[in-house]
Amino acid sequence: MIEKKIGIINRTLPHGTAFGRESLDLTLAMSAFNESLSLFFIGDGIYQLLDGHNPSESLQKHYQPLFKMLELYDVENIYVCEKSLMQRAIAQSDLLIDVTLVDQQRLKTKLAVQDQLLSF
Amino acid sequence: MAIDSMKIAVLVSSAPYGSQGASSAYQFCASAVQAGHKIVGVFFYQEGVLNASQLVSPATDEVNLPDFWAKLAIQYQFPLEVCVSASLRRGIVNETEAQQLSLNQFNLKAPFVLSGLGQLAELSAGADKLVQFL
Repeated sequence: MIEKKIGIINRTLPHGTAFGRESLDLTLAMSAFNESLSLFFIGDGIYQLLDGHNPSESLQKHYQPLFKMLELYDVENIYVCEKSLMQRAIAQSDLLIDVTLVDQQRLKTKLAVQDQLLSF
Repeated sequence: MAIDSMKIAVLVSSAPYGSQGASSAYQFCASAVQAGHKIVGVFFYQEGVLNASQLVSPATDEVNLPDFWAKLAIQYQFPLEVCVSASLRRGIVNETEAQQLSLNQFNLKAPFVLSGLGQLAELSAGADKLVQFL
């Protein structure tokens, strides 16, 4: 059986809700069972990758270092919406990990090839 | 009218009360089985784990969604899997965890079971469709 392509879409700010943290937990866990994961960071979701979080003052878990585990777990398809970065005046070099920037068209193409999509 | 029967896995990410996602998920499952599809399992994650609480006690003229889930799952024999780490953070505990954590109570409703995210991966792999309710 061909492994399903699973896309995990991240659209929320990192600490106002646990969406980001639980999305990353899910991604790391799923990576042990599925080698065809793709991550998408769209809209405010890109703030999760903006380096330099310090959320302990607001009693939130500092989960950002776990993004470094993605490489270790062979999760390499990490797509960031170029337009979302531009709209928020964030440069690729401000991001914590290596990502692939995608324009609107490429984003649509990448989303369309996934067998299953999960949204956070 | 011949519709090919599909194997469907469902991911529930929202609480039994306060938002509509879990109610929609339940209605989706009920409709799917009535239409002849197979629910291979429902996985509860994020706020969705609160669906597994046996302490949910709405007024008698309101819907008790955990009860609805339990009845449907028993009738159509599909598992209700609840992410253990998301559960423990939100105070959903089964008897084994309660003992290990030296807690006086547990509140996981039968037939919900605590399981890991690996189980979601398994459901995803074995299903024709994976449907998430936020």
